[in-house]
Amino acid sequence: MPALFPKWSDSLLRACFVAFVVSAVALPTFAMIWVRTPFVSGKGDPVRQPIEFDHRHHVADDAIDCRYCHDLAERSRYAGVPPTSRCLNCHNQIWNDSPLLATVWTSYFRDEPIPWVRVHRLPDFVYFDHSIHVNKGVGCESCHGRVDRMARVYQVAPLSMSWCLDCHRSPERHLRPLDAITAMGWRPPRPQEEFGRTLRTLYGVREITHCSACHR
Amino acid sequence: MTGSRQPLVHSAVDDAGSVTRRDFLRVIGSGVAVAGLGACIEPPRERILPYTARPPEITPGIATYYATTMTLGGFGTGLVVECREGRPTKVEGNQHHPASLGAAGVFEQASVLELYDPDRVRTPRQRGGVGGWDAFVSDFALTPASGGTEQGRGLHFLLEPTASPLTLSLIDRIRALHPAVGFTFYSPLAFTGAMEGARAAFGRPLQPIYDLSRAAVIVSLDADVLDAHPFCLRYARQFADGRRLRTRRDGMNRLYVVESAFTTTGGMADHRLALRAGDVADVATALLAATATPEEVRPLIPLLSRAQSEGPATSWVRAAAADLRAARGQSVVIAGAEQPAAVHAIANALNAILGSIGTTVRFIEPLLPAEAPEHALTALAAAIDARAVDKLIILGGNPSCTAPADLRFSERIRNVRSKAYLGLYHNETALDCSWVLPGLHYLESWGDARACDGTASFVQPLIRPLYDGRSVDEVLAVCGGLPTTSAHALVRELWSTQPDFQALWARSLERGVIENTASPPVSAALDWAGVLPVLAAERQRAARDSIEVTFRLDPKTLDGRFANNPWLQELPHPITKLTWGNAALLGPETAKRLGIETGDEVSIAFGGGRISIPAIVVPGHAESSITLPLGYGRSGEERVARDVGVNVYPIRTRGAPFIIPDAVVRGVKTGSSEPLATTQGHFTMEGRAIAREGTLAAYRADPRTIVPPHEIAPSLYEPVAQSGDQWAMTIDLSVCTGCSACVIACQAENNIPVVGREGVLKRREMHWLRIDRYYTGPAENPRVISQPMACQHCEKAPCEYVCPVNATVHSPDGLNEMVYNRCVGTRFCSNNCPYKVRRFNWFDYSFGVPAVLWMQRNPDVTVRERGVMEKCTYCVQRIRRAGIQAATERRALRDGEVVTACQQACPTRAITFGSLDDVDSEVSRSRRQERSYAVLGELGTEPRTRYLARIFNPSPDLTV
Repeated sequence: MPALFPKWSDSLLRACFVAFVVSAVALPTFAMIWVRTPFVSGKGDPVRQPIEFDHRHHVADDAIDCRYCHDLAERSRYAGVPPTSRCLNCHNQIWNDSPLLATVWTSYFRDEPIPWVRVHRLPDFVYFDHSIHVNKGVGCESCHGRVDRMARVYQVAPLSMSWCLDCHRSPERHLRPLDAITAMGWRPPRPQEEFGRTLRTLYGVREITHCSACHR
Repeated sequence: MTGSRQPLVHSAVDDAGSVTRRDFLRVIGSGVAVAGLGACIEPPRERILPYTARPPEITPGIATYYATTMTLGGFGTGLVVECREGRPTKVEGNQHHPASLGAAGVFEQASVLELYDPDRVRTPRQRGGVGGWDAFVSDFALTPASGGTEQGRGLHFLLEPTASPLTLSLIDRIRALHPAVGFTFYSPLAFTGAMEGARAAFGRPLQPIYDLSRAAVIVSLDADVLDAHPFCLRYARQFADGRRLRTRRDGMNRLYVVESAFTTTGGMADHRLALRAGDVADVATALLAATATPEEVRPLIPLLSRAQSEGPATSWVRAAAADLRAARGQSVVIAGAEQPAAVHAIANALNAILGSIGTTVRFIEPLLPAEAPEHALTALAAAIDARAVDKLIILGGNPSCTAPADLRFSERIRNVRSKAYLGLYHNETALDCSWVLPGLHYLESWGDARACDGTASFVQPLIRPLYDGRSVDEVLAVCGGLPTTSAHALVRELWSTQPDFQALWARSLERGVIENTASPPVSAALDWAGVLPVLAAERQRAARDSIEVTFRLDPKTLDGRFANNPWLQELPHPITKLTWGNAALLGPETAKRLGIETGDEVSIAFGGGRISIPAIVVPGHAESSITLPLGYGRSGEERVARDVGVNVYPIRTRGAPFIIPDAVVRGVKTGSSEPLATTQGHFTMEGRAIAREGTLAAYRADPRTIVPPHEIAPSLYEPVAQSGDQWAMTIDLSVCTGCSACVIACQAENNIPVVGREGVLKRREMHWLRIDRYYTGPAENPRVISQPMACQHCEKAPCEYVCPVNATVHSPDGLNEMVYNRCVGTRFCSNNCPYKVRRFNWFDYSFGVPAVLWMQRNPDVTVRERGVMEKCTYCVQRIRRAGIQAATERRALRDGEVVTACQQACPTRAITFGSLDDVDSEVSRSRRQERSYAVLGELGTEPRTRYLARIFNPSPDLTV
């Protein structure tokens, strides 16, 4: 009786088995790597805003402290996106007839908020609090990067849970003195590990890794 | 779904008979493929919309708190309301306000949901005509012109009785301008028995105010002062302070209660006598005879001489009388609101004889009208019949539903030419009226109120009106032709006559009370001349053998006004644990006599009406008595309230608004065709000491008889690592009344969904905190013990060991954490929890609700999805908020800085929360009491929640 299947079909079957086993492992692995890529996390993607606001200019050239606009960072969960009136504190005098500011004026006089686009998004089940981080010596730069060099702000950190935990497990690697919280390009006077340990004792920074610290 | 638009789905699903395996797989496969594609599409970036100019008082991310006042039954309760970025989200008590003392009851807690109720009236509308406020005003309002006696004839206002100085002053101003305008006050929440009783005893209507903190002996004559009184939060606190044990040597007050239905007050009684409500007058008389010396009651002797037969009532009366005599000046007798004037007169007489007036009870001038509301409404009905009313404006309430049935009020108001209803809902009255006007919730309106003792406070809005509503005061002012018409201006105008008004305004809004506005006590001298006739009239009643029927305001919906509030509908009744409905309550013997059991129906006919209502047999309910809770079976257009429970108003008449002595009652065997949605069908602890109790004498003699030491089996499990504060809770069962304020507080704080009647029937209720109710003591006269039960935060938590995905773990500060994102819904944890406190989301209960309800949600707490477990977190969001606050201020947390939602709401301060790390913290000290125990502690779970055994203080003369 002639073979129903040609000889090579055995190899095909074996190859199929192998492919099935490999894909059972590879597909979930791929998916898990995929969600961590910048494509999903949004890392490094400069976000177009309704106003061409240039952090480089305001932070580096004008040396405005982060907290002038993001004034809630020290006392609230939110760092605070500045109200329109904050822009006009300066810009009712400076460049007040610039066409770039048209949106700001419109927003102010119509009492309609400027629809800023969110750059750093945490999932809803994460209860991140700016105030405690800022008060314990975590600088703006540690998470947000060199904002003074960003024309359009982009996300520097992956904002993944493992990234959070890296710091929560050994906070000394990212601590800086409270008077340098908003400094950009700050360098530790001594090796960071050693200096961070001193600050850690000084500020009473604990390793907090239990779930309800961030998830409630 | 059309075939052309959805061909795939059409081919496989539409012709259900010919679905082939191939078609099925194709649909499923394409669905999976589409879902997979969706994962590749980047979600759109969110927008952030900051303020254009941020209001100075708002810090995004930080809650603000404002004092305001909620009015219920005419009296105000001061509250502090939490506001998140302009949204009121949670109601708390105001410690400065005399009616709150820092606590908030179920109605106050649940009122925030009422604000966001999607069923609220939104625009002023005329049936079959144009809408809008202008059209209404031109139809109804008087002109501000000089008036004259004739102007306003035919215009009539129907309001709920109120003590609000603003409302009363507006009424006075309108009456002065237009004397012909009529005003009627009606509400089933208004009781005039106390004022009638004072008129009998002291010659004029007065309102009693009690001070239970100074009372060593309290006798309640059918008075539910701990749960159903405008001052109940205050009284509950004072009562609890009088029996809170910190050491074994502390003293306790003693509470005697005679009542028909089991109430929370009866549940707290040291001696409870279950008696028909109509027989309370006899017991009161006997108590007076036994307490007073013959000289003191000489004029009454002929009335008091009826021979008493031996029975439980006699020994109860004898013991109460002995205690009252012994505690002269430190005792108080309180008569129930539903009781007739005679009982109030006797209570007044007893208080006068025992020297309590001036110590435990004082009298003030009445703040509400002394006329019985049924009587007032009868006068209005007569005026309607005489065609003397052609414009009727109903401001709040729901008289079409709640008016006495024999008035046929609903039919009568249809005969009025123009009628308007101002309220929150399209209820029965709104449906009878030609105009329906959106009212304002108290969280949206300006106004003022008086507490039961006369203390005034302002009603301050926390949010701009959600809809096009007006407050009662505004509509009064506009329709009465008064010039100023904004409630804000009106209330300022009224109070601006006070000295230093600007400072008073600012201070009173901040504190939530206007200082020194409590009514002064007035002298009250007992005059037997008035007591004799009411007592004699009460004697005339023939002795009865029939089954009496009593009406009670429901502890969850009151007269029906809260029936559209799903939190309250799903709140288990304090005694019967019934949700989503009402039932006739009756004693076991009566049930036997009628031949029915729980779940069967009773059919009651009276005054031309007939109702049929499911029955619940309640141990300890007075025999030959049936209690009917009002407030259900609503037939308005409110979607939640409609057709839930049975409307009992059809048999409530003017002649018998509270007690029907001789209704025709028939039992109907229906089996369990319509099952009752109760959350606890079980009465007893089956011999296990879950809720422990004992007498004060036994506790003093040997606490081990109440909390025996027990051995804990050695554990195989490693102890969890501990560092920092160690959170723990203690619940004092001695002062827990079971009022359920904590349950609603928990629900509001933690975004807990409701599951509906069907859900409760399937045992799927979501309350993180429930109150278990057990009956103890003799079967014929049981005691009730209420035990709040939430996650015990076991140090060796059985749930943690069985979770396959580590979704429930322990924190170093002693919390049993629930990680929703890890949970895959195996429910192993729930099955392994000995306390049954874990709840599973069978459906997306929180996501299908109208968007306006999202505004109530607490932004600090995750809204859980389908398929995850949840349970009490010890309000971890509050712990973390306080911890962050303390850490940014570089200090340790102080004891009492973290207050859980349940603890905050508790009127009796039964709940203590704090850190065990601090050995002097209140919770540490409470755990050192000899009556502290862990529920099922012998299992070795080492729960962080401990209970203090319930100690009661029976008279040595009576057996318990």
